[in-house]
Amino acid sequence: MDTDKRLDALTKRLDYIKDIFKSNENANVTMLSSELGECKQSRLKNHLQDLDRALTRLEDLFSFLEAKLEKELTPMDRVRIVRHPQRICLNDILENVYDNYTELGGLGENSIDPAMVIAQACIARRVGNKVVNQPVMVIGQEKGHGQEFRNGGSVKPWGNAKALHYMKVAQAEGIPIHTYIFTPGSYPIEDYPGAAQQIAKNIYEMGQINVPIVAVISEGGSGGAEAIGLADRRLMLSHGYYSVISPEGAAAIEGNPRTGNRVSEALIASCAKKLCITAEDNLRMGYVDRIIHEPVLGARPHNYDFFRVLRSEVIRATNEACLSVKRVKFFKAMAIRRKRTQDGKEIFMRWALSNGARKRLTEKRHSKFRELSTSAYMDNRSLMLKLGTALQSTAWSTKSWLLYDLIGRGARAAKQGVEGIQAEVLQVKEKACSLIKKDNDSDPVGNNISREARDKILCLSSPAQQGACLEDGTWKYRSPQSIIDRTFSCPNSAEEGCLDLWGPDLFGDFGGVCITCGHHFRMEYQWYLYNVFNYADGFEFNSGIEAANPLDYEGFDLKLDEVRKKTGLRSSCITFETRMDGINAVVICIAAPFRGGSIGAAEGEKIIRAAERAQRKQLPLIAYVHGTAGIRIQEGTHGVLQMPRCTMAVRRYMDAGGLYLVVYDTNSYGGTVASFLGCSPYQFGIRSSSIGFAGPRVITETTGIKVPPNYHNAWKALARGHIQGIWDRREMSKNVQQSLLTMGGRNLYYR
Amino acid sequence: MLNIKELLEEIKASPYEEVEISVPHTGIVEFSDLKVGDKVTGPTGEWKEKPGTVLAKLTRERNTKSIPAPEKGEIVSIRHDLEGKFVEAGEVLLRIRHFLSKEEVIQLILKKALFLFNAPEKAKYYFTPEIDTKIKGSGERSVKVRDGLELFIVSRMKRETPLNYTGPEGVIYAVYFHNGDNIDGGQPLIGVCPEDQLKHIQDVVTRVQSEWEERD
Amino acid sequence: MYSGEHRVLIANRGEIAIRIARACIELNLSFSCVYTEADRHSGHVRFARENGGSKSLYCISSYSDANEIFSVADSCGATAIHPGYGFFAEDFRFARRVAEREKPLIFIGPSWWIIRELGDKINTKRLARSLGVPTIPGSDKPIYNELEAVEFADSLFAFQKEQGFKASAIMVKASAGGGGMGIEEVTDPDEFRSVFRRIRNYSKRQFNDEGVLIEQRIYGFNHLEVQIVSERSGQKHVHFGTRNCSIQSSGNQKRIEVAPGFASEDIHYIFNATSVLDCITSHSLSMAQEVSYDNVGTWEWIVTPRGEPFLMEVNTRIQVENGVSAAISSISGQGKVDIVREQLRLGLGADIGYSQHDISLNGLALEYRIIAENPDRNFAPWVGTIERFGWVAEDWLEVFTQVPTDCEYEIPTEFDPNLALAIVHGDSLEQVRKRGIEFLDGLELRGVDRAGLQLQSNISYLKEKTSIILEF
Repeated sequence: MDTDKRLDALTKRLDYIKDIFKSNENANVTMLSSELGECKQSRLKNHLQDLDRALTRLEDLFSFLEAKLEKELTPMDRVRIVRHPQRICLNDILENVYDNYTELGGLGENSIDPAMVIAQACIARRVGNKVVNQPVMVIGQEKGHGQEFRNGGSVKPWGNAKALHYMKVAQAEGIPIHTYIFTPGSYPIEDYPGAAQQIAKNIYEMGQINVPIVAVISEGGSGGAEAIGLADRRLMLSHGYYSVISPEGAAAIEGNPRTGNRVSEALIASCAKKLCITAEDNLRMGYVDRIIHEPVLGARPHNYDFFRVLRSEVIRATNEACLSVKRVKFFKAMAIRRKRTQDGKEIFMRWALSNGARKRLTEKRHSKFRELSTSAYMDNRSLMLKLGTALQSTAWSTKSWLLYDLIGRGARAAKQGVEGIQAEVLQVKEKACSLIKKDNDSDPVGNNISREARDKILCLSSPAQQGACLEDGTWKYRSPQSIIDRTFSCPNSAEEGCLDLWGPDLFGDFGGVCITCGHHFRMEYQWYLYNVFNYADGFEFNSGIEAANPLDYEGFDLKLDEVRKKTGLRSSCITFETRMDGINAVVICIAAPFRGGSIGAAEGEKIIRAAERAQRKQLPLIAYVHGTAGIRIQEGTHGVLQMPRCTMAVRRYMDAGGLYLVVYDTNSYGGTVASFLGCSPYQFGIRSSSIGFAGPRVITETTGIKVPPNYHNAWKALARGHIQGIWDRREMSKNVQQSLLTMGGRNLYYR
Repeated sequence: MLNIKELLEEIKASPYEEVEISVPHTGIVEFSDLKVGDKVTGPTGEWKEKPGTVLAKLTRERNTKSIPAPEKGEIVSIRHDLEGKFVEAGEVLLRIRHFLSKEEVIQLILKKALFLFNAPEKAKYYFTPEIDTKIKGSGERSVKVRDGLELFIVSRMKRETPLNYTGPEGVIYAVYFHNGDNIDGGQPLIGVCPEDQLKHIQDVVTRVQSEWEERD
Repeated sequence: MYSGEHRVLIANRGEIAIRIARACIELNLSFSCVYTEADRHSGHVRFARENGGSKSLYCISSYSDANEIFSVADSCGATAIHPGYGFFAEDFRFARRVAEREKPLIFIGPSWWIIRELGDKINTKRLARSLGVPTIPGSDKPIYNELEAVEFADSLFAFQKEQGFKASAIMVKASAGGGGMGIEEVTDPDEFRSVFRRIRNYSKRQFNDEGVLIEQRIYGFNHLEVQIVSERSGQKHVHFGTRNCSIQSSGNQKRIEVAPGFASEDIHYIFNATSVLDCITSHSLSMAQEVSYDNVGTWEWIVTPRGEPFLMEVNTRIQVENGVSAAISSISGQGKVDIVREQLRLGLGADIGYSQHDISLNGLALEYRIIAENPDRNFAPWVGTIERFGWVAEDWLEVFTQVPTDCEYEIPTEFDPNLALAIVHGDSLEQVRKRGIEFLDGLELRGVDRAGLQLQSNISYLKEKTSIILEF
């Protein structure tokens, strides 16, 4: 009987190996396969003792070859390990790492989103003679060993909302949060709330959750991972992957997506390699703090040793997070640093933090993320300029503080005083007048109106200010599309009866808007820069920060060169300071022609710096999104990290009392919308905009759901509550002005 | 009561409809590589978002538009002599023989079963704004009409006048015009189903669903 | 220069299309007409078919689709486009496209920038004021500020009081509005503030612009026009007298027009009518000079019961009623003037060849607009088929119509309801009135609609109003 069991176990081991290495021809696998086959064949013939010996030999061989195979693991093999139904899942961790736990908000299928599991868990510690239970909030995606209703760990928007809710509960209770990331990506649907909308909200809120957060990454699929991944300590399982996009997704983009053919396995594998998704890669790039080593060929539910390691690692990470902000440092601090995790025994410390420490914690989290990926872009600014910028920024904060806070307050008070006096004088004057008037009422001469008033009624008003004739050309920027003598058809002409429009009229006079139905034709971003944001009189800064190829992604240098030449841009992001109708503002423009308006490390850095600049100079911050395809996949995790980085930057800006206005123009999808754009309380869509997490094609591919053609349009985004209003392009200037005057907090120089 | 069987037989005797494809405006015509007898398809997809077979292209003021097939069917005649020529508005390019689909047969029979409210005169017709939003929002069958309800706006000679519905109370079951279309007097605008006949009408629909076989 | 080489595309329909086509023939020009399916039985289609030769007739999808016009223009080899009145006549973008497309054509009308400048009422008012031309008392640019508006309204009320008006009133309009929308009258200064707010909010909702105009409300005025004609140089301007278009239907649609503007010999006015006419004529000419107006155009004025003229707007096109001015004018004592023909001739670049001294104005003329409508029921249009249409020809009478006189004609429903224009000329007011009635009496207009009801027309209304033309 025992032999049966052992044989069975070996068969399973072989199956697992075969699953991992899949189609790849591998001599080791073939060998194991044939050996096991032989053994099975011979089991009836052989003596029990011989069989026993053969089995032991075979088991040794398995172990030996598994260790050998382990060294040969390619990134794609790791992806398969992580996705294997036998991969450890959150429930295994809850069972084996924690001493006690209660699942919250759902049990099995009976949950608003079974892909997201929340549990209040305990770690029991013996301190002297007492047993201390340390509660933590465990949050993570649950793949449930392939249970269908778990949706493979693809969390729906409301699942992420649930996670956020319990993070806030943990914050209220003052207990640490452990998040476990087991997701291939978020479920890209746009019900209320939309996927992007909710992820943006999660990242935004997590930046300020003031209890220690420890994240453990097994499968870190882009946006879905970031929704619970913004942590003080980020650990990664050695066989996990953490990536901007699934290798299949990257391959689909690399290969020709139009043809609809399936992309080849080889391309997928090469993408997996190029994206630098393994634990080692991410540790090297600094995006995870430590790697937790798994048994060969990945951890599975029976690897109890591994759970012990995991337990001590998360405890240690939580300790470190607490310790980094605790004022009084015990000997323990030194001990924790010295102690090796393999000891199995963890140092005990309390995880409750004082108010001060909590504040320092979020502060530290911010600077941790601020420092990341700073080497992933090209900084072509001269040394002097860099130094100068650093000095200048301090000068600005001082200056704007002096100017607006110190003097400004005084000046405002003085102004109000003067206005009061003027009103007073007027009152007296009017009273006097009315008295005089009463006396003169009978006098017909009193009916005569003043010469001044008569002129106003009958003569040309302010002749010098504005000529009697119309000014030539209302828009400062004319689209090159307006030069060609041809007509354009409105796509709504069948329903709305729109007539074809002549190019010069449409793109010149009408700003690319159909005069019948209001359909917005695509317009260059320059149109907005010049006609709305007064770019001509603006001052562009940080233009020397350029998009690079930090992963040395094959072939990408060439593509970057091409797009640089074609667009004249050096990154998809243009940041400048400008003056519109008397109000200064910092504008971030994300231009679609540069790599689809995707965001990488350079763009992220520029956005953060723009937010910092706006904060220091007390200026409103406007993000004009001409179009964005999300995170630049060729930068891998360097790109993904821009989600938390930029979100934290704009959050700080908003918390300081600024006005962060986001305006979407054409297609805006992906990680950018799901982070620093989607978190703004003031988001508006030009009528031409489509906003969402994943485009219609990706939704159909990942979920099998077909979405209607208008699924992402501005009206739907408005109905979902993602954007707050829809603007007509021609009215944008007026709307921006109105927003600047009415929205935002107190840290604006003109308030 | 309608004799549905008879009606169905009648339609089955000539189950085709000939669709004329004419140019919507002037321009230069360029045919797709099609000939008599070729099969074409109408718009497809769950939301009819994929247009039908491109029959021809029409270029006017350097703007080339495709003329797609509105229905699935077979080409019965094609004016190849117009290839590359300037045509005036309304010129017929080709004819398609279209086998009636279930939906169309249902519509045909319903036209006989429902109460039809006809256009009193040649004019452009619109639904009143409230009704229009209701129809756009939750479909025409959500609109109940009763005698004297202000239902339409009639636009002619650049003047607009309201038009009240007259007829039995019921729900709008079918709409036979598009907002702003020029409708000849006597043409039906809507088909109304009195509520007590709703069941009967639904029977008709299921009957056709089961008895009508679609062909290419 | 305008021999056979020119081909004029007539981007219009009905009687004006026929008049333009006739003028083309008289000037020895080729022409092409367009029509829509609904208009296939219109007289202009028949005229083109019978008189135009090849390439003279094209079916298009809509008269309002500029692209159809250009498409046909290129196909028939047109060199010029005459927009007639309505449709594209005052569309500066159309005129600009005619001139600036890759294959430019001649736009028979003023240059596009002039259409743009004078097409904007506020701009026209400011231009007029800068030249000292009288305009309706009130603001000449949008007012946004409530305090400023109240102050302005108060001085307007005071102004009217000063002028001795018993009941003063002002109009509050949305500056971006038009066509009677967003206009309210205020007679009580205390009500002004709430009306101002209402209009401002309406304007913001409707046009996304809060600008409001405030003007004096003028009661019982007469509507006068000055016909200006110029050559392409924009330097030589002449006028063909004035017209009075005060007899209008309830929807402010003209029904009878008379030239000249006042009959100072036959009627006694409380003001000096001759000097009012001189005043508006000279002001119109000076404005035309200032903007280098370069084709035919009409300066529209209102004259208050006290004889004060105010410039209202400029129509940068040929007007329906151009014929009444033509009927009383002659150049160097020769035959009848045809302003449509003059427009074509000058539009194509010919020298004007005469000056104001050569133009003499004699007698009076009136124009009836004959329409199938019910004057008693708010001028509701009648729709149906005309079975018989005819009149007695006279040498003092001219009738322009697209309605055939020898067969039935179904009135198309999507256009202006004008059936015919009849111009009656006479030496005295008395004679014109008499001839007018004589014409209307002899007019035969019969038809029946789908329901079998008899045609309704405004003939009785025209008869009734003939007796009061030119009276204030």
